[in-house]
Amino acid sequence: MAALPVRSVRHASPLARGWGNWIFLIPATLFFVGYMLYPIVRTLWLSFTDYRFLRQAPANFIGLQNYQFALADPMVGIGLMRAAVFTLVFLPGMIILPLIVAVLVDRVRSRALGAFYRVVLLIPAVIPGPMIFVMWRLLYNYEIGPINTVLVDVLGIFTRENAPQWVGNPSLVIPAVAFFEWWWGLGYHTMIFLAGLAAIPRDFIEAARIDGANEWQVFWHITLPRLRPVLAVLVILRFGTAMAVIEEYLIFGGFNRALPTYTWTVYMYDLAFQIGEWLQGYAASIGWLGAIGSLGVTAFLLWLFRNKDG
Amino acid sequence: MQATISQPTSRVRLHHRRRVRFSAVLRHVVINLFLLAVVLPIAWIILLSVKTLPDAYSGKLLPTEPLTLSHYEFVLTRMPQLTQNLTNSLIVTIGSIVVTSICAVLAGYALVHLKTPGRALVITICTATLFFPTRLLSLIPIYEIQRSIGLLNSVWGLILPYVTLNLAISILIMRGIFEQIPSELAEAARMDGCNAWQALFLVMLPLITNGLVVLIIINFVTAWGEFLFAATLTNDQSKRTLIVVLARAFGGVGQFSWPRLAAAYTLVIVPGVLIFALAQRLYFKGLTEGAIRL
Repeated sequence: MAALPVRSVRHASPLARGWGNWIFLIPATLFFVGYMLYPIVRTLWLSFTDYRFLRQAPANFIGLQNYQFALADPMVGIGLMRAAVFTLVFLPGMIILPLIVAVLVDRVRSRALGAFYRVVLLIPAVIPGPMIFVMWRLLYNYEIGPINTVLVDVLGIFTRENAPQWVGNPSLVIPAVAFFEWWWGLGYHTMIFLAGLAAIPRDFIEAARIDGANEWQVFWHITLPRLRPVLAVLVILRFGTAMAVIEEYLIFGGFNRALPTYTWTVYMYDLAFQIGEWLQGYAASIGWLGAIGSLGVTAFLLWLFRNKDG
Repeated sequence: MQATISQPTSRVRLHHRRRVRFSAVLRHVVINLFLLAVVLPIAWIILLSVKTLPDAYSGKLLPTEPLTLSHYEFVLTRMPQLTQNLTNSLIVTIGSIVVTSICAVLAGYALVHLKTPGRALVITICTATLFFPTRLLSLIPIYEIQRSIGLLNSVWGLILPYVTLNLAISILIMRGIFEQIPSELAEAARMDGCNAWQALFLVMLPLITNGLVVLIIINFVTAWGEFLFAATLTNDQSKRTLIVVLARAFGGVGQFSWPRLAAAYTLVIVPGVLIFALAQRLYFKGLTEGAIRL
C-alpha cells in the first residue's frame, strides 16, 4: 500500500528516493522534537530572559545577565563543586568494581553457574531508581537500619550513641549515596564489560599464557587494552549522569542547602519550581551552565581516550 | 594447547594444577561475596515487611516473634489511596512501554533495512543525547507544554514525556538488533512482493522478540520508577504514581510505619524482578544479539 506513492516520488525526482521511508521515523521524530529538542531550545531561550512563572508579565530578553548573575552566585559554584565531588567519589568504584566482577565471571566455566551469577547480579538493575533510594534510606536509618545494627551489635565498632548518621551527616551522605549507586549499577555495568570481554579472541589469551604470561600480565597487557573502547564509553556516560544526578539528592537531602546533596541540579529545580515567583529564566541559565561545564569535561575525556588509542 | 607445549614434569604440572584449582575456588568465593552484597539489602527489606511491629523497631537483625503478613494486608486493603497510585503507575508504565517500543522498532527498521536518507544523522543525534543532561534541561518547558495542552496533573499525560526518556537508547538497541538480521532476508521478502510494512511485520517481527524483551525491561524500569517528571507534573495525591508517594512517605509510626513501608517497597520491587526472572533467558539472548552495543 505504501509502494505506490513511493514509486511516484521516485519518478518525480531521483533525489527524493527513500524519503518516503521517513514515515517509519515519524513517531520517534514527533516525540523527539516535541519533548526533547523544542524544550531544550526553549530552555536556552528562557536563559536569556527574566521569565518568572508565577508573574503575569511576559518574559523580557535580558541578554547574558542571568549568566553573569549565575557566575557570581556562590550557590552555583558550590553546587557545581558538590556535584564534582560526588562524581569523583562515585566514578572510580562504578568502573572498577564491575570490571573486577566481569573478569571473574568471564572465567567461570560452568554455563549454568555463569548464568546464575549474571541473573543475581542484575537484580538491582531491574529495581527502579527511586525505589533503590528509599530502600537504602531505610538501610541507612540511624536507629533501625541494619547497617548500624551490624556496626553496633554485631561488630561492636560503635555504640548506639555514636553510630554514624549516614544520611544526616554532611560528610557521610555523599559516600553513602555513591555506595548504593555502585550497588545499583554493579550488575548492569558488569554485563557491559562481559560483552566487551566476550569480544576478545580466546586464542589471543591462550597464546600469551603459553608464552608464560601470568594472570596479571594477561589482564594488563591484553584484557585492559582491548576493553578500552568499552571503558571510554562507560566513563564518559557515567561522568555525564553523575554530574546531573538530581532524584537521589531530592530524596536524600530535600532542599536543605547546608547538605552536600544540594547541588546545581537541586538549586535549579528549587529556583524553577519552589522558591518565590519560580525564577525559571534564571534556573534555565544555571541548567545550561552546568550542562556546558559537564560537556566541556566530556569533550576532554573523549579527547583523552581517543588520543591514547592511536 | 596441550599439543603445543613440551610435556612438563609431573611435579610442575601438579603444582600448576593445584594453583589453578585454588584460584578457581578464590574466584567463586569473591563472586559469591559480591552476590551476597547484592542480595542481602533486598532480603532485609523483605524480612522487615513480615516482622511484627515490636520486632521491626527493636533494631535487631533477626525476628524474635513469628512472622506476619498483616502489613501486606494493611497496605493492600486499608490504604485505598495506594491502590489508586499503583493503578496510575501501571497505566503510565504500560503506556510508555508500548509507545516507546513502537517508535523504536519502526525507527530501528528504517535505519537498518530501508534506504532512509539521513540515517547517519539520526544515529549521531541519538548517541549525542546520551551524553547530554536532556531530562534536566527539558523539565521547565515540558511543564509549560503539559500546562498549555491541559495535561498537567494527568496520569495519561505523563506518558508523553516518558516516551522521550528512553527513546534514543531504545532506537539504538533496536538498530543493534536489526543489524543482526541479514539484509538478504529483507530483500527476499521484497522480491516476493512484500512492501516495507509487510516485510517488517511478517518477516522481521518474529525475529526481534529477544530484542523486544530487552527493550521492555529497560523501559519498564525507567517508567515504573521515574520520579522527577512525575513529582513535578502531578499535584494531587490521587494522580501521583506509586513511586512519588512512597518517596515522599517517610517511615515512623502510624500509617507509614517501617514494616508497612517495607511491604509497599516489596510490592513495587517484586513485579520487575519477577518479569526479569521469567524473561531472563530471552533477555540475555537479546543482549548477545547486539542489544548492548551502545
